[in-house]
Amino acid sequence: MTQEAELVGRGRRDGNHLFKEWYAELDAAAEAGDPSAYVFVMGSAAEILKAFDLNLVFPEINSLQMAVRKVSLEYLNKAEDYGYSTDVCGYVKADVGMHLGGGRHPNGRIPKPSIVVATNMCNTYVKWVEIWQRMYGCKVFVLDIPGQRGIGWSSAPGSEQFENDRRYVQSQLEELIELCEKVTGRPFRLERLQENLVHVNEMAAAWSAVLKLNQNTPAPFNAMADGLTYMGVLSAYRGTATGARYMKDLREEMEHKVKLGMGTIAEERFRLHGVGPACYSYFRRFLELFQDWGAVYVNSEYLAYAGGGLEAGIQFDVERPLESLAEQLLITGRRSMSNMFFSQDQLAGAVSDWKADGIVYHSVKSCRTVSTGMADSREYLTRVKGVPSLFVESDLVDPRLWSEAQFKNRIDAFFEALAARKASAAVAARG
Amino acid sequence: MAAAVAAPAGFDEILGRCSELAEDVTYPSVRRWREEHADGHAVGHFQVYFPEELVHAAGMLPVTLMGAGSRLEAKLADSHIGSFICSICRTSLELGFSGRVGFLDAFYTTPICDVARNLAGIWGRNFNGMTSEILYLPQSATARHAVPYLRDEYARVLAELERIRGKPVEESELRASIRVYNENRRLLRELYRFKRETPWLLSTTEAYVLAKAGTVMPREQHNEILRAAIAEIPGRSGRRQDRVRVVFEGGFCEQPPLDMLQLIEEACYIVDDDLLIGMRWIVDDVAETGDPLHALAESYLEHSTYSCVQHDDRKPKEEMLVRRLEESGAQAVILAAAKMCEPGLDEQVAYQKVLEQKKIPFLLLDFEEKMTAFERMRMEVETFVESILFD
Amino acid sequence: MLVGGVDVGSTQTKAVVMDGQRRILGRSLIDTGGIVTAAAENAFRQACDDAHVQRSEVAYVVGTGYGRYKVTFGDTQVTEISCHARGGQYLFPGTRTVLDIGGQDTKAIKIGAEGQVLDFCMNDKCAAGTGRFLGAAAMALDIPLGELGPMALVAKNPVKITTTCTVFAETEIINWLARGKKVEDVLMGVHQAIATRSISLLRRVGVENELTFTGGVTRNTAMVRILEEMLETHLNVSEEAHYMGAIGASLFALEKALTGAAGAVEAMTVGERLDSTRAASGDCEVCPELPDRKFRDAQERLSKPPVLIQVGRMREDAER
Repeated sequence: MTQEAELVGRGRRDGNHLFKEWYAELDAAAEAGDPSAYVFVMGSAAEILKAFDLNLVFPEINSLQMAVRKVSLEYLNKAEDYGYSTDVCGYVKADVGMHLGGGRHPNGRIPKPSIVVATNMCNTYVKWVEIWQRMYGCKVFVLDIPGQRGIGWSSAPGSEQFENDRRYVQSQLEELIELCEKVTGRPFRLERLQENLVHVNEMAAAWSAVLKLNQNTPAPFNAMADGLTYMGVLSAYRGTATGARYMKDLREEMEHKVKLGMGTIAEERFRLHGVGPACYSYFRRFLELFQDWGAVYVNSEYLAYAGGGLEAGIQFDVERPLESLAEQLLITGRRSMSNMFFSQDQLAGAVSDWKADGIVYHSVKSCRTVSTGMADSREYLTRVKGVPSLFVESDLVDPRLWSEAQFKNRIDAFFEALAARKASAAVAARG
Repeated sequence: MAAAVAAPAGFDEILGRCSELAEDVTYPSVRRWREEHADGHAVGHFQVYFPEELVHAAGMLPVTLMGAGSRLEAKLADSHIGSFICSICRTSLELGFSGRVGFLDAFYTTPICDVARNLAGIWGRNFNGMTSEILYLPQSATARHAVPYLRDEYARVLAELERIRGKPVEESELRASIRVYNENRRLLRELYRFKRETPWLLSTTEAYVLAKAGTVMPREQHNEILRAAIAEIPGRSGRRQDRVRVVFEGGFCEQPPLDMLQLIEEACYIVDDDLLIGMRWIVDDVAETGDPLHALAESYLEHSTYSCVQHDDRKPKEEMLVRRLEESGAQAVILAAAKMCEPGLDEQVAYQKVLEQKKIPFLLLDFEEKMTAFERMRMEVETFVESILFD
Repeated sequence: MLVGGVDVGSTQTKAVVMDGQRRILGRSLIDTGGIVTAAAENAFRQACDDAHVQRSEVAYVVGTGYGRYKVTFGDTQVTEISCHARGGQYLFPGTRTVLDIGGQDTKAIKIGAEGQVLDFCMNDKCAAGTGRFLGAAAMALDIPLGELGPMALVAKNPVKITTTCTVFAETEIINWLARGKKVEDVLMGVHQAIATRSISLLRRVGVENELTFTGGVTRNTAMVRILEEMLETHLNVSEEAHYMGAIGASLFALEKALTGAAGAVEAMTVGERLDSTRAASGDCEVCPELPDRKFRDAQERLSKPPVLIQVGRMREDAER
């Protein structure tokens, strides 16, 4: 039996280690000039790209890391001096600033792109890749995934509508494979894809179980804090044996914690559901402001769509690899986009299932994809479902948009009200 | 069929009627149409391009929602949309919340940007009695399967329109609508020819207002108006002046205030632009034979111009801009971008770099549809023009 | 039983002393100035003087406002949002929505029947919708702040102020005057801009009657009238508007003092609290003076150093 001392915290330790290894490999790839792919957390097509042994670079994670390491402002300034407006997405600008500075990142050198794959899950991805196209003349592939068309609209696998969309996605995947062959000079081997799909199946099953474990009280991990590490592994190691191993280990660790009733803080007093990313420029402070009230993020939408859509435990049919890949990309991509655009009913369900006391909406200036609909979604959830919520604003990576006093004021008021609600409910239950 | 605008006499009268429509956020022409067609339906769509032929073929009136400029404050919409959002999306929502577009039976938006996609969710959550959907135009324009996919997507929208009107739409109806819109596109190209060749006879502000009227009336009526106006243009009095010829490029999902157009035209001739590019997206005739949905899909993807909201490797936008400049005989470019507009602001940098590289003079302008003070902008434009004239 | 509430704002500090029957015995209002801790001290002392009581007689003090952590003699801190909710309901029991236009932020608060916060929305990023905007207008026009309201009320053709930034609004104001617009028309435009932004916040939480208006700007009769016109509803306005935060703070202090507990805020009304106290101790009637025994107990507990809101730490951090 594994010692508790080794088991608890293993996910964080191993995750940090894997992270370092990944950046070290990227640095080596930059040195050697190895073919590398720039991809995004929402739809990386890693299953295919890894079949060609392409190194994966996640520029979103690069920008996030710049903020966490407190150096994003200098990169933002470089991009703004170059001509990018203050209104442009901070992830894009931080990245542009880095490229303008020769590709030097606090975590090491980043290789230049041989190929870029962007989905349409965020429209800014498409503008972003055009920037690299101009800078490096690299091949850019836009993987278009038709999303949910409207509220109440759905198309089940097997239906004519679903098949129309799937054919489109699958055809694009076939073109992507042809492009990868051209770019890498390596032939496509179906077995490699199948291997990767098997690993993703394992990752997805384990990850889905891990997420559900947070329905317990106390929750074994903090979706915002620990979730960031897990998300990094989900993206960078997607489709690999290492990634599958990591997720299985994580599941073991969390099951262990649940058995022992181990939470993330001394006393879990409030359970929160997060909508939107954190402020990475002041990540520690952001988390502490909530922890100081004994609050834990038990779940977050961000973890779902930025984790590559594995949260509902997708399972590829390895016997029909390309078709299944297209199907699942459509399903998971659609779900991720709907989590942002048509979230209201699914959010209410998640709050209930994870026994959250309320929702924290963190609107970020950079990301209109997730932030545009928050005010309305919040209004709907308050009015129709009566879910308590807090609305705070800052940015992903722009430290100029963070104000701790304002954040603290709103957070304190929210928890004062939540505590009051809980006390009233307790009195009512007694009486 | 009653005309929205009765056959007018001279150019000025035509222009006057169209100007009124361009600025009126109560949509009088649409209301009139609804009154005259008791069983009719109106379908609203957002920017930039929408295959209106589908709506037209179903006997419905397509209405473009493109914000409300400075004529509406987003009072009610404000609590339903985030902070750092372009004005056009706020005021377009306000049109909904304030009841000004209650005549709509459906609302469509497209993936030009993430705010636009979010509109479908916000609209759908708050306006229950109507269809509110995203038409998923392909962002992978060069994909092998893009045309068949788009054809199926058009079929999906058509099916919904058929459901609303309670009757299927025949291929013959679609072809008839395509013919009407082909004619409209030809007339718009004609307008732009005048702007390019004899800008002293037709200003961009005038062309803009004439074109915009088409977004709130049946397209065949718009064709009548354009034909009448075009007939009058050669006879107009206007003296050729020695002004700088510019291309005015700005994405223009969000519309520039008319005052802004006018102040630029006081100093330059705008000989080409991407204003109301959605109406002129398709650059030649859509095939009037064969499968009409396929024809529309193919034209959208294969016979179209460019925009910062579309990614297409065959049409690199910087090269397209330079080509626009060369083909219109322009000397300089005025690059505009709406505040908070991600695609527009991103593209502005790319345009800027290529113009710098080719040593083509350009001016960068930020704008908002709701601007009312223009002194600073006027100064910038005048200074820019002077720097070209007195080089 | 005496309690106190101290509201430390960016420009002014207010303090209130209250008795066990929720009656306000004394109040004070001073400029915050540069040394915030001193302002808190002085305001509290002056409120005690105004109430003719000794500081030592005050059993419990709650600090609020942006400077609430500088109320070093206070027993705990509560946000001004929660305090304004309580204060609003205290002054106007039918209040269900509170609008507070302060010097540098504006809040819309939706409250329940007991003054508990149900939802809130703040403009704390931009001075354009706050009293600061009026201050900027006063400076640009060289008119005393108090005269802005009456002057705006005679406007016949208000201009539209479109600038969203207070700093640039000054330029816009000067531009309008240069174009020959009347001062009152420009002023009314400024008022309308502030009102519009405030209403926007109100809509996010939903306006429910009664609506209570508070904050320094309540003295501005034009603002009250404009808001009432735009919202088509009556606004409760109190003479005590400045003290709303401090009143709310003292109400929280009263609850704390009666339970004698430090830690998370509990929402039981005073009545309920007294009921439970009564049931526990066997006392029959609620009387102005708590039995000596209970008061002594409370005093003992309160003599310990003030405890901040409970702090949680990551388990791994603790293990390190």
